[in-house]
Amino acid sequence: MEPIRIDPKRALDDAMRAQQKLAASFRTLRKVEDVDYGATEKEAIYHEDKVVVYRYKGKAKPTAKAPILICYALVNRPYMVDLQDDRSLVKNLLALGEDVYIIDWGYPDGGDRWLTLDDYINGYIRRSVAAVAKHAGVEKINLLGICQGGAFSLCFASLHQDKLQNLITMVTPVDFHTKDNMLSHWTRDMDVDLFVDTLGNVPADLMNWCYLTLKPVRLNQQKYIAMLDILDDKAELENFLRMEKWIFDSPDQAGEAFREFIRDFYQGNKLVKGGLEIGGKPISLKNITIPVLNIFAEQDHLVPPSASRPLGDHIGTKDYTQLAFKGGHIGIYVSGRAQREVPPAIHEWLAKRTR
Amino acid sequence: MAKGPDPMRSPDDWQALSQQYWNAWADATRKAFGSAADATTSDKTPWHEGLEQWSRMFDARSAGDTQSEVAERLLAGARSYFALLQSLAEKGADGKADPQAWAERLRESFNFPGADAALLDNPLARALRELAGHGAKGFEQMMEGMQPTMAEARALLDLPAFGYAREHQGHYQRMAKAWLDYQHETNHYNALIARASRRAFEVFEDKLAERGEPGRQIDTVRGLYDLWVDAAEDAYAEIALSDEFREVYGALVNAQMRVRQNVQREVERVATDLGMPTRTEIDSMGKRLHALHRDAKNQAETLPELVAEVAALRAEVERLKAGGVKFSSKPARKSATRKPARKSRK
Repeated sequence: MEPIRIDPKRALDDAMRAQQKLAASFRTLRKVEDVDYGATEKEAIYHEDKVVVYRYKGKAKPTAKAPILICYALVNRPYMVDLQDDRSLVKNLLALGEDVYIIDWGYPDGGDRWLTLDDYINGYIRRSVAAVAKHAGVEKINLLGICQGGAFSLCFASLHQDKLQNLITMVTPVDFHTKDNMLSHWTRDMDVDLFVDTLGNVPADLMNWCYLTLKPVRLNQQKYIAMLDILDDKAELENFLRMEKWIFDSPDQAGEAFREFIRDFYQGNKLVKGGLEIGGKPISLKNITIPVLNIFAEQDHLVPPSASRPLGDHIGTKDYTQLAFKGGHIGIYVSGRAQREVPPAIHEWLAKRTR
Repeated sequence: MAKGPDPMRSPDDWQALSQQYWNAWADATRKAFGSAADATTSDKTPWHEGLEQWSRMFDARSAGDTQSEVAERLLAGARSYFALLQSLAEKGADGKADPQAWAERLRESFNFPGADAALLDNPLARALRELAGHGAKGFEQMMEGMQPTMAEARALLDLPAFGYAREHQGHYQRMAKAWLDYQHETNHYNALIARASRRAFEVFEDKLAERGEPGRQIDTVRGLYDLWVDAAEDAYAEIALSDEFREVYGALVNAQMRVRQNVQREVERVATDLGMPTRTEIDSMGKRLHALHRDAKNQAETLPELVAEVAALRAEVERLKAGGVKFSSKPARKSATRKPARKSRK
């Protein structure tokens, strides 16, 4: 049997329809305003340098006994967790009675060139945790680390778990040397000292270029071909543009912290191999004995599931739960499935453990 | 939608129908984008001109805004897709070609008129070229700008350096060598991308062969395009996860950094000559400032603890006083014997 049976008429009809959509897009794109993001009202409760800790305001008073502090990655902006009204991890957690705070790292500039992982983990995160605990009137809080922020949260918990009740990691790399980790593979022969000494802070555009080259045809062509289908739909187009904005609205990376992260995590894989030190203090996942929930995405091309799963083998806690989500690195926050599955899973897991 | 010729009956009818559609496309382009399209629309690639017109509308009226960015990106992706559409529409009427012949048609579609000849048969290189990362773009532009300097430096490369300008000449030689290394590593990288492109067509053939099974046939151009994307990404991943790619990628990044570093040194030299501050100086100050900032933060954190400790001690003293304990107004001497000792020395 022949592999292709394309009706020529249908092929040409498809071409004409695409052309019509293209023509319609000129009108639609002109109507689209600069997209807004962030669905939930929030207030700043702590400032330090460029770092701001926000508390999200839900419609009702939180019923949870301990607040959640979200620690996002440095490489993207944290509003992905509250992108828009119908795509918001935060909004859904609030609706379930959780009290949600988030660290916004801001946009590092030349003044932040010498920030180290010690500054981030033992400095900003530690003081943010203290600020949230004080604001919420509790001694211990729940920490939710995302992606690189998850790796930071593991380091923080290893050193300061007396400040935490529970730890949740989402799409967090733990074992950086699995065979399918393309990003890690590419960094292995890179001279990171030469790289940072030359660039100083690492430009966001360079980071984005690197991410796009992980899947160059899918991310640079196919995605925009799929956009043809929605060119005449203003609402869908706004959703698309909002996502585009998030993808490319990336902060530069503080040079020293980047150097340490590449050297110790991507190249040295010290989180699982051992020998990692932050600010001169040894980090061991075995030190973490509080309850841990590890959520990863099965189709994640940035942090493959194989990089997240090993946490269970290395963590010290006896109360370890793992949740595999059917989706990708971004879908875990914004897909319809994510809205239905992820917030309730977090809420129920916490409810059983928070005192 | 179409009436008249029946493409299933004869190739002539198919050609007529195909022409009818592309004429309609060209008409639609003219209607949508005005008479500017009339003069330039090509019979060979009506879709191409339509896209160009569409792109120009955004360039002219909304340069620099989000929509314009999106238009640019869509244009980059759409070119390949519409080329595939037209290629299949013109040649794929019978639907009876084997996977190899389909792969050949696909390959032809990427080499559409106006496409960069340097990217012939290399769709992955095209996809990488179309990435609009300003970080990479900026460096490429810088490299282009450096060409005259490099040409000059290359001529000096083999000459011995001596005399007053010896250090400058040595620097130019290092810069030229770094640039040549970078070219060398870029060629290695490009060779691997070209290999991934060749492999993509092979993977595409394999994937297509699998679709010969009942119920798995491809019946839309989009379906075919998506299958091609899967093949291209699989082939790319195969190469990109190899040890060879890792070494070449690392060498390329390192070579680019050495070029940048040499250029920075040259810029700093000129800045110093002109009495301007350099990045090295700013980094040096930034590092010191950061260390001070960190110490100040740490001290500020310990301050409340010290204040609390002093307050606790004061309270204890007050309690003891209230209990009748007498305190001397002067602290007790630790070395009462020192003075006599000094006197005895005299």
